[in-house]
Amino acid sequence: MNSEVIKTVPKKATKPKKRKSSGSLDVQKSRMGWLFIAPFLIGFFLVYLPMIFDSIKFSFSEIEMLDGGYVLNNVGFNNYQTALESSEFKSVLIGSITDLIFSVPAIVIFALFMAVLLNQKMRGRAIFRAIFFIPVIVSTGIIESIDAKNTLASIQQNGNLAEEGSISGGSAGGQILSALDVKSLFSGLQIGSGLVDYVVGLLNDVYGIVNKSGVQMLIFLSGLQSISPAIYESCHIDGASSWETFWKITFPMISPMILVNAVYTVIDSFTSETNSVMQHISQTYEQIGPGEEIATAMSWMYFLVIVLLLAVVAGILGAYVFYQRKDV
Amino acid sequence: MDTSSMTKKELKEYNKQLKREEAMKKIRAQEKTPFLMRLRYKYLTFYYGKQLLWAFFRLVLLVGISYVVLQPYISKIASSFMNVDDFTNVKVLLISMNPTLDTYKAIITENGYFEALFNTTALSVLCGISQTLICTIVGYGFAKFKFKFKKLLFVLVIFTMIVPHETLQLSMHQNFMNFDVWGLWNGIRNLFANIGEMFSFEGGVGAWYEATKEEFIAAGAKSPGFMDIIFSNPEGLAYGGNMLNSFGPIAVLSLTGLAFKNGLFIYLMRQYFNGVPDELEEAAYVDGAGVIKTFVRIILPMSSTMLVTVFMFSFSWQWSDTFYTNMFYSSSAREFVLLPDIVGIPESLETDITLSAYNTAINNTAGLLILIPLVIVYLFAQRTLIEGVERSGITG
Repeated sequence: MNSEVIKTVPKKATKPKKRKSSGSLDVQKSRMGWLFIAPFLIGFFLVYLPMIFDSIKFSFSEIEMLDGGYVLNNVGFNNYQTALESSEFKSVLIGSITDLIFSVPAIVIFALFMAVLLNQKMRGRAIFRAIFFIPVIVSTGIIESIDAKNTLASIQQNGNLAEEGSISGGSAGGQILSALDVKSLFSGLQIGSGLVDYVVGLLNDVYGIVNKSGVQMLIFLSGLQSISPAIYESCHIDGASSWETFWKITFPMISPMILVNAVYTVIDSFTSETNSVMQHISQTYEQIGPGEEIATAMSWMYFLVIVLLLAVVAGILGAYVFYQRKDV
Repeated sequence: MDTSSMTKKELKEYNKQLKREEAMKKIRAQEKTPFLMRLRYKYLTFYYGKQLLWAFFRLVLLVGISYVVLQPYISKIASSFMNVDDFTNVKVLLISMNPTLDTYKAIITENGYFEALFNTTALSVLCGISQTLICTIVGYGFAKFKFKFKKLLFVLVIFTMIVPHETLQLSMHQNFMNFDVWGLWNGIRNLFANIGEMFSFEGGVGAWYEATKEEFIAAGAKSPGFMDIIFSNPEGLAYGGNMLNSFGPIAVLSLTGLAFKNGLFIYLMRQYFNGVPDELEEAAYVDGAGVIKTFVRIILPMSSTMLVTVFMFSFSWQWSDTFYTNMFYSSSAREFVLLPDIVGIPESLETDITLSAYNTAINNTAGLLILIPLVIVYLFAQRTLIEGVERSGITG
C-alpha cells in the first residue's frame, strides 16, 4: 500500500509545478548559502585580504615613519635576505621543526590514550574529564606570558633557571626522571640511547604534553562516541579480546581523527605564542629600526614552512586513513 | 494429617509431595550459599582480578596526570597566601607560616582589578556571543547549501587558520589605526553620525555616551558621531578611523569570523551540521517555513550544546588572550584597562630585587585573580561543553 502512495503522489505533485520550480528552488537555496557565508566572505575580502596584501608589501619594503603616517620604500628581497642571514633565525626554525617532528606523535598518541581511558565507564569520570580539560580553557595566553615573564625575571636576577622551575610551574615538580637512571635500566637491552633520551625528555615534559593535548583529546572523544556500540558487541560475542578490539575496530575507525589531530597539532604548536620561532619573530618585531619589516618577512617564510610541513603530514597520514563513509 | 485413614493411592501422592518439598528446601538451601563463599565465587576469579588490577592502574594513572595538570595551580594558590617572610623561611614549602591576604588586597585595590574585570567581561561576552553566532551561521552555510566555489571558499577558512597571527601583526595594527575599507567605513560613519541624537539614551548608557562625547570634544573633534564614539577613541581622531583602544578592532574581527581561532569554530560547526539529517529541514520547508525561519526556530535551539561549546571556547580564549589585547590596547596609556594589564607588582608590597620568588608569587596571584571568574564559568559550563564536543561528530 505504501508503495502505491509513493508512486501516485509525485505524479500529481509534479504536474502543475513542472521543472522550472525545482530549478528555482536550487537557485534560491544556493543564494541562501551565499547569504549564510556572507559575513565571512565580506570579512575575508574587505578586511583580511587587504591585510595579507599589506603584509606582503611590508615584507618587501622599508617603512619610513612620517608625522601621522608612513611611506613605503621598495627594497626587494632585502628583508628576506637579512632574515635568512641571521643565524639565530635559522637555528630556531630548524630546532622548532625537529621539536615538532618529535612532539606531534607524542601528543597525538597521548591524546588518543587519554581519550580511550576517559571514554571507559568508571566512577568519577566526570571529575577527571573536567580536570583534563582545564588546560584547554585556562592555560592560554595570559598564564603562559606570566610564566615566561617570571622565568625571564629569575634568569636576570639569579642566572639560575633550575631553582625557579618548581615555582613557576614550567616543569611540574622539576625533573621526574633522569636519563641516566633509565639508561642503566635499559643498558642490557639493545635500545639506542637516542630513543631513551627521547622518551625521558617526553616524560619530563609531561606537563607540556598534557597542556597541549586538550583539544585533541576532545576531538578523539567525539570520534570514540561516534563508533556504534553494536560493532563492539559483535566483536565481544565473536570472542575478541579488548586488545584486539582496539586495533581492529577502534584504531581504524578513529584514523580520520588522527589525521585531523596531527594537522591541528602542527597548526597549534606552530602558531602558539610559546613556539620559539614565534617568540623570535615577536622579539624581532619589537626591535628598533627595520625590525617590523624583517619580522614580517620572517613570518611569511615561516608560513611557507608550515604549509609545506602540513602537506607532508597530511600526505603521509592520508594514505593510511580508513574512511567508513565516502561522503565526507 | 492422619495417614492411616488414606488409601494407598493417596498415601503415594502424599509421599511424593513430601519429597518434592524436601527437594525444594534443598534447592533453597543451595541458593543461600554462605556470604563468604559467594564472595569467593564472584571476586576471586581471574576475570575479576584482571578487571580490578586495570581499574587500579587506571585510577593511579588518572590521579597522577590530574596532579600534573593541577600542580602549578596548587603551588600558585599556596604561594599567593604567603607573607614576605615565608619566602626566606626554609621550612615553608606549600603552607604559609603566617597566612595573609595582603597580596590579593594590594592587587585588587592598586592595579585596578575591577575596572579591568568589567572591561574584559564586556569584551569577552560580546566576543563570545558574536563569534558563536557568526561561526554558526557560516558553518551552517558551508554544511547545508550547495553553491559554486564552495570547496574553494572553505579552503579560505582553513587558510585563515594556518596563517600565524604574527604575520599580520604589523598590517593589522596599521589597518585598525586608519580603519577605512575603500571609503566604506567613513560613509557608514557619516550615515550614522546623528543616530545618537535621534534616540535619547537614558540611564547608564546615556551618561556614558554623553561623557565619552565630551571627551571627544575635549580632544578636538568637531562633532563626534555615534559610530566614532562606539568604535574609536579620542586620541585617534587625528587619523580619522583610529579604532585602537576601543571595542572596534575586536568587534570587526568577531563579526566577520576572523578573530582568534574562528576558523576552528567554523570547522567544528560545519562538521556538526553535516551530521544533522537533511530530512529535518525538509520537513520544516514542507510545512512552509523559510530557510531563515528554519535556522532560527529549529536548528539553533537544537544545537544549543554546540553553541555553548563554541561560546566557552571563544569567551575563555578572548578572556586570557594577550596577543590581540597587547596589539590593540596599549597598556601604558591605561585608557582601556584589560585583565592582562593588572599583572604587576603593587607599590604597597615591600619587594626586594633579590626576592624574586616573592615577585613571582605576586605575578602568579594576579594570574589567579584573572582566572577565578573564568574557572567559575567553566565549572558551570563544563558538562555541556564536553557533551557538545562529543556530539560534534568530527570526522576527517
